[in-house]
Order: sequence, then structure tokens, then C-alpha cells
Amino acid sequence: MGNVTTPRLTILDPTSESRPARRALLSRPSSVDGMTIGLLDIRKPRGDVFLDRIEELLTERGARVLRYAKPTFTKPAPADLRHEIASQCNLVIEALAD
Amino acid sequence: MHDIADLELRGVPSMFVASSEFMTAAISQSEGIGFPDVARVFVEHPIQDRTDAEMVAIAEAAFPGILAAICASN
Amino acid sequence: MTKPVLPDGLVAVVKRECATCVMTEPVLATIAASTTLSVFTQDDAAFPESVPHSHDSDLSISWHHDIETVPTLIRVENGVEVDRTVGWSRVAWRAITGIGDLGEELPVMRPGCGSLSVDPDLVDKLRARFTGSVLTARHIDMASAEDEFESMFNRGWTDGLPVIPPTAERVLRMLAGTTRAPDEIVAVAPPDLVPLSVEKIAINAVMAGCLPEYMPWVIAALEAVCNDRFNMHGVLATTMPVGPVIVCNGPGTKRIGMNSGINVFGQGNRANMTIGRAVQLAIRNVGGGRPGEVDRATHGNPGKLSFCFAEDEDGSPFGSLASERGIPPGTDALTVFAGEGPRCAVDQLARTPDELTNSFAACLRSVMHPKSALAFDVLLVVSPDHSRIYAEAGWARGRILRELHARLEIEANLILRGVDGMAEGLPDRFRDRTVPKFRPDGILLAHAGGGAGLFSSIIAGWANGDMGSQPVTVAVKS
Repeated sequence: MGNVTTPRLTILDPTSESRPARRALLSRPSSVDGMTIGLLDIRKPRGDVFLDRIEELLTERGARVLRYAKPTFTKPAPADLRHEIASQCNLVIEALAD
Repeated sequence: MHDIADLELRGVPSMFVASSEFMTAAISQSEGIGFPDVARVFVEHPIQDRTDAEMVAIAEAAFPGILAAICASN
Repeated sequence: MTKPVLPDGLVAVVKRECATCVMTEPVLATIAASTTLSVFTQDDAAFPESVPHSHDSDLSISWHHDIETVPTLIRVENGVEVDRTVGWSRVAWRAITGIGDLGEELPVMRPGCGSLSVDPDLVDKLRARFTGSVLTARHIDMASAEDEFESMFNRGWTDGLPVIPPTAERVLRMLAGTTRAPDEIVAVAPPDLVPLSVEKIAINAVMAGCLPEYMPWVIAALEAVCNDRFNMHGVLATTMPVGPVIVCNGPGTKRIGMNSGINVFGQGNRANMTIGRAVQLAIRNVGGGRPGEVDRATHGNPGKLSFCFAEDEDGSPFGSLASERGIPPGTDALTVFAGEGPRCAVDQLARTPDELTNSFAACLRSVMHPKSALAFDVLLVVSPDHSRIYAEAGWARGRILRELHARLEIEANLILRGVDGMAEGLPDRFRDRTVPKFRPDGILLAHAGGGAGLFSSIIAGWANGDMGSQPVTVAVKS
């Protein structure tokens, strides 16, 4: 069997089709200067050391960094934590899945 | 990755960092959830037995890719 | 997919799972021995064993040649069907074949069975297979682990409630509810001014949960709102709470099971709820009018999800809204009105039409603001318990409206700006005049509601006049 599989389900577009069908990334700022950046630690070993250095590098470039941690890496982050991060941060980096 | 997909829906540009061991699974999973362009950077495997100095070096090597994933390219 | 041509001569369509077809096998063999006969079998490729045949495995022959019953026997000359008969009838088969003693040993007549190409379990797939190419909308594949309901929420396609995934099969089934072609443009949807095709309407009607028989009503409502007279763009963009209120008339409302009685504005009736919903979804998905963007309503109202109902015409002592607005009686039609949510007008004590009308006038005085005049229209929906009072007194529509307007002539001095400590009101230039609360055609009267309840309902409208919205009535065509 090759790589091409029949889609599980196909639906028709109800809109004027002026936006792309493929999910687009949100637009990004031109720099991290002045941004509040959330670093979300998934709590696998060594991830904290990685994020500590990333925090330093971001702070040098004018960002304000907030640190968060998931209760466990085995499940998505709880809704409360996602809400907290979204309301406090302009940008988010999650690390480090291994 | 589900956290990142969710945060993007909440209006916060987001990205994740994973080791290269994760690459195939991450690509397949991102396609599976309908978000193939999810922002991500892969770093060299392994991670778990690295010294602090090695982790710092890995972070510095990954940093340009991370910046590119959270800032607009010029 | 192009329609397959039938071979010249005689053509029979059969299936093994049909006792009549099995019974005619020897007859088919007789025909095949003396003339050109092409047999198409719908189910078992081996049937009928004694007669050369082809397997209509994808039911393309059966579908394209409208086979509803098996056996069907067709005579084809020069690629054109000239005669057909369904089921077994000795007389008919002898006539078509010209074989005078055909089927002597069989009963005179025996009915056939349902063709597989009209089997309810198969029809949607077949329609998709053979007419799917009429759909031109972009196809969007769901990813393997993507929940289609979440995906539609995330894409901004919903009104905040889940919608039915518009698969090709469902959309084609919906399109069968109208005779109009999928690529026909019904209207132009504001604010992006995008052509609204029957296909796009069908996609949104599927999402809303409509049945195919609701399509003519959804199409008519969209025709009625997407024009400068109703001014859908203005209705979308206003900070006021209004949305289209759809009042349906005609025998068709009963055929599709609309509600004109108990809880007529509320939840529970599929036709009422989904027709109104489909109109909103189509406008917003195609035209692009979303809350927070073009839609900046301060409060809006729950009716912006859906506000569609049928008039109770049988019980009405004052005719129907559509007939008042020029539609011949007995014709399906609807009227769209830019309205806010309904407000209850209580009168549990009136015994005479004058008393009731005095109550209505008092309640209508405060539409939008007690000191506003001429700016807004209103839809008064009278309940059966209230309309009985008018019926017993012999007051028809003209009388009721005249009496209401007469009671709504207001001394402007009472409602000038600043009077009663309210800054709102009429400018000073109206001093010493009398002004009507509503313009001459500004009160619309409808009849609906449950049989018990001495309440009627007031639905205030948006700004009237050229800059605002006028009610629009259109006939519903299938």
C-alpha cells in the first residue's frame, strides 16, 4: 500500500472561499523586543536547562519571559493553564519533547 | 503539539521544540490534526543524558530556528 | 459522468432478488432467440443464466435511464427509447416485442420489484457518484485524527452551535429539494458582495440541519433579504439588536411541518429553527458578516441564531400577512422583517375590541423608547385568544390597523427632548404638532401562537426609510 490514503471524510466549503483551506499560522511580530514570551516546560529531563538558556537569550533581546510547567508531559496542558498562558503572553515556546 | 494548536486558536503565536527522534511522529501527528504547518524546531537526539554545558550548547544552536518560528521572516 | 447510451433493439433490466424477474427468465430467452435483446442485471452477475447479459455493477445504466422497477423492458431505436413497460404484463410485453404468443405459460400479469437504483439505502451514494461533478465548491479533507465538528468550529463556520458536516452526499441530497440548478445565483451576499449560489445555500442548509424540502424556503428568504430594500448589509452592521425575522405563509408551511402554534417563536420545531438558521449561516459564511467584524451589535438578540415561523392562517380573522402584501391566497410566500426579540403584550381582562386595542396601543407606545416616533416599524403578532375578540366583533385587518394608528397619534409636546427629565425625544421643531408613533404602513399584523394565552407579541423593527430596512415579501418557488 502506498502513501496516498483516501481521506476519512471530505466536506464542502460553505464560505466564499476567500481564505485558504489549509490551517494557517497566526501572523508573528517582527521581533521579540517588548514581547512577553511564555516558556512552557513539559517537564522531561534536561528541558529546564534548555529553557533557562533560551530565557537568557530572549531577555537579552528585549523580551520579558514568563515560565510555566505542565503537571505531566503525558497529557495536553489543563485548560486553566492554557487560559492563563494565553491571557499573559504574546508568544509561547513549549519544550522539550524527547 | 495539542497545546500549541490550542494556543494558536486562542490567538497566541506558538511553537514547540522536540528532539529529532520525534520528527516523523510530529510531522504525521501535525497532519493528523489538520495543522501540518504547526511551528516547530527539532534538536539533536539524545537529550536525557546531556550535561548542563551540552544543553546550553544545544539551546544556542536551536535559538535562530526558534526566533524564526516566533517572529515574522523579513 | 456521461449518460450511457442504450443499445438498439430490446433492453431488459432485471435483478435476481426479484421473483418476477426470475419468472420472466424463460421469456427473456425466447426474446433473445428471435431478436436483439440486451439484458442488464443489477445484482448477481450470473443472473439470468440462460440468457446473455451484462452486469450493471455500478448501476450507471439503471440510474441514467430512470429504472424504478424491475423488470423493465425498453424498445430502443437509433439510440432513442421509444417504448417501455415495467413489471410483467403479457399484453404489454407482446406489444413491445411483437412476439404474439410470448409468455403463454405465465400469469397474465405480475408486478415487479423496486430497482436497486432507487433503493433508499443506495440513492445518496448513487447521486454522489453520477451527479457529484455538479458540485464546484472547494472540497476540504478532514485529517485522520481531526474531529470534523471541532474543525468546523475552528474554521469559524458555525453560529456557536455545532453544525452538520456538509459532505457531498448530504449536499446533493439537499439540492434534490429544489429544481434550481446548483450554479444558479440567487442573490449577492453582503458585506463582501459574494454571489450566493444554490450550491452554497445547500451546503449551509445541510449545516443548519434542514431537510431538502426546506430548500425553496431558504432560497426565498435569502432572495428576500439580499437586496437594498431589506438592506441586509445595514442589518448586519448595525449596533441595534435586529436580525431577519421570517414570517411564512401558504399551504407549503403545513406540508413541511412548520409550527404556527404553541411556542411558535421558541425551540423544538425543526423547520422553524433550521430554515432561520440556514439563512443566517449562508449570509455569514458566504457574505462574511461575523460578530466583532462587520456585525457590531451591542447586544444582538437570540433570534439572530434563527427567527422563523409560520402564521396561523386558518384561525386568523384578518387574513394572512402575505395576502395583505400582495400575494394571491393559497400561494406559498414569506415576509422578512428586520426585528429584535419579541416582547410580550399582556391583556387578560379585555372583553371588547376597543379595550384590547387600547392595551395594544399603550404597549406599542414604548417600542424602542416611549418618546420615539416615526423611526421604527413594528410587527404585532396577535394570539388566537386575542384574535377571537376581534373575530367576534367583526374587526378585520383594515379596521384593526386604523384603530391602532388612531390611538398612536401623539402630542409632540409630550415627547420632546428633555420632557420628563429624559434627554431623548423629538427635536423642538415638532413642537405643537401631532406625530404618529408609526408611519402609515409601519405596523405589520400577523396571527400565530398557542390556543391558550391572553398575550400577544410585539417585535420592534430597525430603522425604516431609505437608510434602514423595509419588509420584503417574496413567493416561494420550488
